[in-house]
Amino acid sequence: MRPFHPQYILEALPQLILYLPVTAAIVIGTVFFGSLLGILLAAGRIRRGRVGRAFANLYIYVIRCVPSIVLLFLVYYGLPEFLNVFGVNINDAGKGFFVITTFSLLFSASMAEVFRSAYEAVDRGQREAAVSIGLTEFQAFYRIVLPQCVRVAIPNFTNALVNLMKEGSLAYTIGLIDIMGKGQLLIGQNHGSYSLEIYLALFFLYWGLTLMVEKGAGIWERHLTPTKQERGGVRKCN
Amino acid sequence: MLQVKNVQKAFGENLVLRGVDIEVKKGDIVVILGPSGSGKTTLLRCLNFLERADGGSMDFDEIHTELKGASKAVVSKVRKKTAFVFQNYNLFQNKTALQNVMEGLTVARKTPKEEALARAKAALDKVGLSERYDYYPSQLSGGQQQRVGIARAIAVNPDVLLFDEPTSALDPELIGEVLAVMKKLAKEGATMIVVTHEMTFAQEVASKVIFMDGGVVVEQGSAEQIFTKPKEERTIQFLRRVLRDYDYII
Amino acid sequence: MQLDTQFMLTTFLHVLQGIPVTLTIVMVTLLVSAPLGFLMAVSKSGEGKIGRRIIAGYVSLIRGTPVVLQILFLYSLLPTALNYWIKEVLGLSYNIFTLNPIFYAYVVFILNTTAVLSEVFRSALSTVNKGQLEAALSIGMSAPQAYVRIIIPQALVSALPNLCNTTVNLLKSTSLAFMMTVKDITAIAKIDASFGYNYLEAYLVIFAVYIFLCSAVQGVFHLTERGAAAYKKPAVS
Repeated sequence: MRPFHPQYILEALPQLILYLPVTAAIVIGTVFFGSLLGILLAAGRIRRGRVGRAFANLYIYVIRCVPSIVLLFLVYYGLPEFLNVFGVNINDAGKGFFVITTFSLLFSASMAEVFRSAYEAVDRGQREAAVSIGLTEFQAFYRIVLPQCVRVAIPNFTNALVNLMKEGSLAYTIGLIDIMGKGQLLIGQNHGSYSLEIYLALFFLYWGLTLMVEKGAGIWERHLTPTKQERGGVRKCN
Repeated sequence: MLQVKNVQKAFGENLVLRGVDIEVKKGDIVVILGPSGSGKTTLLRCLNFLERADGGSMDFDEIHTELKGASKAVVSKVRKKTAFVFQNYNLFQNKTALQNVMEGLTVARKTPKEEALARAKAALDKVGLSERYDYYPSQLSGGQQQRVGIARAIAVNPDVLLFDEPTSALDPELIGEVLAVMKKLAKEGATMIVVTHEMTFAQEVASKVIFMDGGVVVEQGSAEQIFTKPKEERTIQFLRRVLRDYDYII
Repeated sequence: MQLDTQFMLTTFLHVLQGIPVTLTIVMVTLLVSAPLGFLMAVSKSGEGKIGRRIIAGYVSLIRGTPVVLQILFLYSLLPTALNYWIKEVLGLSYNIFTLNPIFYAYVVFILNTTAVLSEVFRSALSTVNKGQLEAALSIGMSAPQAYVRIIIPQALVSALPNLCNTTVNLLKSTSLAFMMTVKDITAIAKIDASFGYNYLEAYLVIFAVYIFLCSAVQGVFHLTERGAAAYKKPAVS
């Protein structure tokens, strides 16, 4: 067995961290587009319309059943041909486009559930009470209902976000160079040596990212809890 | 038959029992009254070791033990001589009414299955649930669930039955059926310790009433003594407050 | 867009042969991980502070990092490390490189699923009302009897939806087993596709196969739930 070089972990880390912005960009892009699609799906499930609901349910069911890597390959190999039928040429699109498309499709299903359960968790009486004391519909939504929805949604959203970050590491399989891709490149450059050290460095990075996201979500959630708001309100009155 | 001395218990800083003595003779119906937070439920739980007291001793027939250091064997012996009826029934959710009652016989006491079945059915019949053997708790009303709870307790032929506010989780219209079962048991000579807020039950059935407040026994005596000529100021105030709704009694 | 339907049919038939491999990985993983995860869940609520810390760290690490990374790491570590152990430490002549790679898949997925299941069982145990244990003790049962007869059966029923989720996620994760040269559904499709660059067709086929398998898993859990939760049904009369 070849010797293990712990110091190479430290050497590899800065090189990997250089590609953190790529990982972050993929995550942010996916959260943006996935949430938009998720809102539509959640609306489909909440609204009365039969067709919309059936479609949203079917979509979420299918996405729940498909491994990320299968969907990633399907989008990577299939989307250009599919769009070609409509005369759209995306053969020159970057790898990032396919990655964000794939993970937006996946993430939207989780987000639909996040939105729906948050919406349903807030009592209808909250809006009615707000309107009854003279707030407009928009004010009632923005000042009363939305903050409560957000608080309920944070734990589920955090879960989905962490999952996205982890699943996103599969992007290297179609050649995207994020932290995972860079790790694989480094291993290739060294002809397979130092693979353990590089994987360990990646473990530290991903684990650290997850812990940071969870910590941040915890702080955010505490910030939104009523006791704190009440305290803030009192201070304002003084 | 059962005597505890100087029972003490604290939850953190909060002294809940500050040295309580009680004595129960065979056939006694002891009713413990008191405002909430007076420690009466904790006392009852200490008797069955659901709560470990910080100090005090117990004499129960041939058993003599300190409450704090009681060994597993002693705890098990005491539990087999007593049975507990819970405020929120605590029926085993994954067992039918009949299985709930049989569990204590077949599993804890190794009673043969046929005998256990017969005794369990008899117990359920006694509480008026002959028609509900195979119902799960979720399919029964609160009053029926509590009657299964009582059947589960009497099926094991305990020397002492412990009731922890058995009716306070029930809707008013369901309280009567549970109290009726308890009165029937009392008439048949069962030994019972009952923590309750049902004043009429205490007046009609109790052979001894204990009034607790602030973790101590303030006053005890026969039902007549306590209700008609209480001596202690705290007892008088408590009774005046709770009996305000029961003007007709006074 | 032209789909080669002939290719899809032959690939479909090929892929069917991979189903037993995929399902074996799922079954073996669950059978080993469930008891391990349960023990962890119980000891997490138990005393030993150090043991609890170690378990918490393990669960956090596994759940905080991508499965694919765990696969790549263990697959580059285990064969050489085991080879070293067998040859140098134990002095045996067994050639570890002839070992069926599915064993590495077992190791990875067991490590992963055990961590997930320990959380599933922990939350399931916490859903069982404390009064159930008290009632069992009050009628004279011992603590182990109370757990086996009253607490655990109820915890398992309330764990079923999460167990279903875990199984579905495990099923999906096995699609990465091809990285360890295991011939599962995905591996077969990839190999077939690479001959004539029929990737789209091949992935469409396994897309459908995964939906079918996932539906089957959910169906099994649905039936189990209906059977096991008889006591949760509302009144009949």
